[in-house]
Amino acid sequence: MAIYIYGVIDSNGRPDDPMIGLEGALVCNLPYRDLGVVTSDLDARIPHITKEHVLGHERVVERLMVNFTVLPFRFPTIFDKKEDVLAMMNDHYDDFRDNLGRLRGKAEFGIKVIWPGDKIRTRMAPGENSAPMPAPASPARSFLKKKFEEHQIEKKIEDEADKHIALVDGFFNKFAAEKKLEKLKTENLLLNALYLVEKEKQGDFRQAFEQLRSSPGELKYLFSGPWPPYNFIKMIRP
Amino acid sequence: MASHNVIAESKDVALVEVLDRVLDKGVVISGDLVISVAEVDLVYVGLKALISSVETMERLRGGPFVGPMQEPT
Repeated sequence: MAIYIYGVIDSNGRPDDPMIGLEGALVCNLPYRDLGVVTSDLDARIPHITKEHVLGHERVVERLMVNFTVLPFRFPTIFDKKEDVLAMMNDHYDDFRDNLGRLRGKAEFGIKVIWPGDKIRTRMAPGENSAPMPAPASPARSFLKKKFEEHQIEKKIEDEADKHIALVDGFFNKFAAEKKLEKLKTENLLLNALYLVEKEKQGDFRQAFEQLRSSPGELKYLFSGPWPPYNFIKMIRP
Repeated sequence: MASHNVIAESKDVALVEVLDRVLDKGVVISGDLVISVAEVDLVYVGLKALISSVETMERLRGGPFVGPMQEPT
């Protein structure tokens, strides 16, 4: 027997609707002061990483999200016994309370922007029309020249990326309470952006995406959300 | 309204987006009480590599990025 944790919520009451979680187990809310830790008792000690289990975890968290502020736990978080779970709640109570307060009424949205990295690189490379460089006089000079040119290309790509990212972020920034922008995680993934958006502004946020998607250009976009705030939980205390 | 440049859009987003969050984000508790299992991390290393980039999914599928839980747009 093991206690599986889906997340912590801002309520210590019993959920209105009975929920079924991983492996068909009932989902319970274990109260701790004014909070609750949402769990299932599992027969298996560790649930395997399968599509069903991962989606099962997410389904429970999304159901919770409808009525509560929820701090989702990473899959799979397991404890041996109830006393250990309560000890964990005691250790982290202040962090949980602070996060729940900060994230109340907000949801996470993801925007991925993809550009043709290989084409951009080719475009940034010195073309035939560029001014001819004098022939290098030695292998060392040749090496340095090559390095310099590579550096110039990288800088141009970075500048181009920054320009596009500023443009994209301009669509969403005013609707976001918090954001995380990750540039060029891979050659083609120009931007992986995460925005934390208040409920009242989520309509405007979606509208901003509609505007962005209708703009011309070679960028492609992926929109996802609303999500529980997986990416905006800050655990400060050890 | 042009939609040619939208790869995917839905609340029922691609599995890769779910995996990225459920397996890599959220509250992480460390300590003696929580049961941590080395094998899980090892499995995850492979899984993370598999899902690390959207463009890889695109390339493998030979087309737009469409997850199992969504409708193509």
